[in-house]
Amino acid sequence: MELLLLPGRQVRRPALKLCRTGSLRVSARIRRAYSSKPQPDIYDVVCVGGGPAGLSLLTALRANSATAGLRVALVEAQDLNKTRSWTLPPDRFSNRCSSLTPSSARFLDKIGAWSHVKQERVQPYQEMQVWDGVTDARIEFDWAQGATGSTIAYMTENLNLTSGLLSRLDELGGTTIFNAAKVENITLGEDTEDLDLSQWPIVHLSGGKQLAARLLVGADGANSPVRTFAEIKSRGWDYNRHGVVATLQLEDHGWGGDAMKIAYQRFLPTGPIAMLPMPGKFSTLVWSTTPSNAVLLKSLPAKDFIALVNAAFRLRTVDLDFMHTMTSGQDDELAWRLQHTSFVAEAIPQTVVGVQEGTIASFPLKMRHADTYIGERVALIGDAAHTTHPLAGQGLNLGQADVESLAKTIEYSVLHGQDLGTRMSLEGYNSERYTKNHVFLGVVDKLHKLYSFENGPLVPLRSLGLNAVNAMRPLKNFLMDQAAGKGVKLF
Amino acid sequence: MKAPTTPLRTLLRKPIPHPYQFLPAVTIATSISHSHNATFSVLNRPPPNYPGHVPLTRLERAALALGSGILSLRDPHRGDLIAALGEATATPYFIHRLHRAMLSSLTGRRILRDRPRITSQSLNLPYLRSLPTNTVGGTYVAWLDREGVSPDTRADVRYIDDEECAYVMQRYRESHDFYHALTGLPIVREGEVALKAFEFANTLLPMTGLSLLAVGTMKPVERARFWYVYGPWAVKNGLKSQEVINIYWEEEMETDVQELRDRLGIEQPPDLRDIRKREREEKRRAKERANGNPAAPAVA
Ligand SMILES: Cc1cc2nc3c(=O)[nH]c(=O)nc-3n(C[C@H](O)[C@H](O)[C@H](O)COP(=O)(O)OP(=O)(O)OC[C@H]3O[C@@H](n4cnc5c(N)ncnc54)[C@H](O)[C@@H]3O)c2cc1C
Repeated sequence: MELLLLPGRQVRRPALKLCRTGSLRVSARIRRAYSSKPQPDIYDVVCVGGGPAGLSLLTALRANSATAGLRVALVEAQDLNKTRSWTLPPDRFSNRCSSLTPSSARFLDKIGAWSHVKQERVQPYQEMQVWDGVTDARIEFDWAQGATGSTIAYMTENLNLTSGLLSRLDELGGTTIFNAAKVENITLGEDTEDLDLSQWPIVHLSGGKQLAARLLVGADGANSPVRTFAEIKSRGWDYNRHGVVATLQLEDHGWGGDAMKIAYQRFLPTGPIAMLPMPGKFSTLVWSTTPSNAVLLKSLPAKDFIALVNAAFRLRTVDLDFMHTMTSGQDDELAWRLQHTSFVAEAIPQTVVGVQEGTIASFPLKMRHADTYIGERVALIGDAAHTTHPLAGQGLNLGQADVESLAKTIEYSVLHGQDLGTRMSLEGYNSERYTKNHVFLGVVDKLHKLYSFENGPLVPLRSLGLNAVNAMRPLKNFLMDQAAGKGVKLF
Repeated sequence: MKAPTTPLRTLLRKPIPHPYQFLPAVTIATSISHSHNATFSVLNRPPPNYPGHVPLTRLERAALALGSGILSLRDPHRGDLIAALGEATATPYFIHRLHRAMLSSLTGRRILRDRPRITSQSLNLPYLRSLPTNTVGGTYVAWLDREGVSPDTRADVRYIDDEECAYVMQRYRESHDFYHALTGLPIVREGEVALKAFEFANTLLPMTGLSLLAVGTMKPVERARFWYVYGPWAVKNGLKSQEVINIYWEEEMETDVQELRDRLGIEQPPDLRDIRKREREEKRRAKERANGNPAAPAVA
């Protein structure tokens, strides 16, 4: 049995068997018998990062009978007990929300996590209104008349998702969780008499604990220490923009009531502003804007912040620019400008009447793409592999698609008796996801650039583009199928 | 187009009649969509957006621009035609540029909020006459008195659909006399053309550019002066100075004219009246010389 532990020599044996041996015990015995130095605990999969990506991956592995026998560990720097006990009254919402596409939701359902997510706090939406703040060209996404009930995406608080995933993972059991443990260092292991760990990553935790990983998964976010260890370069640029988020209260439940919720996005030269529906009268804001505007927004008293948000969906960009130079009085300025600005009330979100205390925050926006998602015994998923501008609301969904693909790749290795950590075994994951994400990040990046022009030759062209897409039902349906993950898979 | 359309016909008469007097029961029915407002034809003309407003179809607007353009070239003293030409060519694009310029400035926004009008009632002319001549107010009344005009000679805006943009046009028109005071350019055709060139560079309103066609009607020496002196001055100053539409004239009456010029970044052009006077003198002397008076010096 001990032979099985020698990683260099067990390539043809199913990983499954290895795990059923209770390797922790065995390795402990080895350590006692042969070495005075501290020996690492050995795992098939060590996942660093307990965000949406990491938790989904472990849940997927544990929920699948083919991979449920793997020895898996999770390392998370934050206290996951806070996520476990996360609760908010029904009329309060966290400011970090993501729109989960139906394909992400289907995947979460498949791994048994969706029912652990508090459904009364999830808001599906059926329509999307996107328009150009400079030219007013507009594109509406909704399903053809009669096809009501079709969901474009589900607005979910990130914490609702992670606490649901954690609850499902706890229910499945079998995951060793190193909670509130920071990864301090990652090294390669040593070649001892009995164990050649020289190609294995060893994760050193803050308490001094060491974990050897047949496969080390980096789900550790944009500044991924795993990616750094693997010497995988991540390229891209900062948008010099911040995403300002807040939980808003509207005058009512939305123009379509609770049965027909609508997401809105207006492209302003500084970046898009999006208002996404949450249950009842609530909505979540994601406003990409310049760092200095973000500072101003965060400093304003509530009534002026609300006025600027209402202005951003209604007024001309010249008014908005001016109102960003004011340190107060936006409220009064908006009241005056509304008398001289024409718009169709039903085509824009209902008036914001409140902002929940403590929910205004901002994040720097970056576009980054790792050169590859895999190395020898290393795989990257989620934001560790790629970060994107939130204008398409897809960051988290790309991560879910990574997870689905990597879980499938691991399953294949297990079923075919391959070493799941080798680069060769991981190749399938990389080739399935890399190009798709690359195209997606590129398109989003170009969209951001295209819409940051206030004038110039591209402005009429882009509205022509929007209007043309709007007029072409088949193309629109195709795009919506993409968003909902129903059609031919492209992204 | 056989018969001129309604607005054109109203223009052919001289004092400007009330617009609705001439709205026909039936004329050529056009239903070309009209800017971003709803499409309408002359049969179902929408109600006015502000008192005096005449909503026009696109065809009517084009006819108005063409008609007033041709007629005002024939008769440059028809202020009403020039006003109509200005309105017809300012929409739907150029007036928005001016509007944006006002909305980008704190003072411009205050003007838009307060909507001051420049009339003989709104201005306290006796008080302005009491101001020193180097002030904006003093210069302005001196100019009014010398040219024998009153602030009330400016026509009301009628053909611009957006109510706020109509005010912008009105303000632009009513500020024109202050631009004379500010630049010191006289009301003679040569001064007027130089001022229009300045306004064109500053506002980009097409009508101000169109009025430069009048350069062709000037005397050769004036034309040369325009190309070498006033034209270059106008372009340079119009482009580099701040938007003159954003001056709250009512609040600047006591300001020293030179101080205001410095604040806006406008250099005063060479004094045109002076140049013209010297020129006339020179001509007179040359004539005297020709008439056998060799004692007169050759240069002034
Ligand atoms: C303003 C904004 C709006 C967004 N809106 C959307 C949207 O509408 N839809 C959407 O799909 N996406 C959206 N996103 C993106 C989405 O939030 C991210 O893509 C998603 O959270 C990434 O998940 P992740 O699990 O890959 O990484 P993260 O959520 O960043 O998780 C990484 C985890 O790793 C842990 N970690 C890091 N370093 C260490 C270490 N050294 N040791 C131990 N643990 C470590 C961290 O504590 C963290 O828990 C948005 C992002 C922003 C900024």
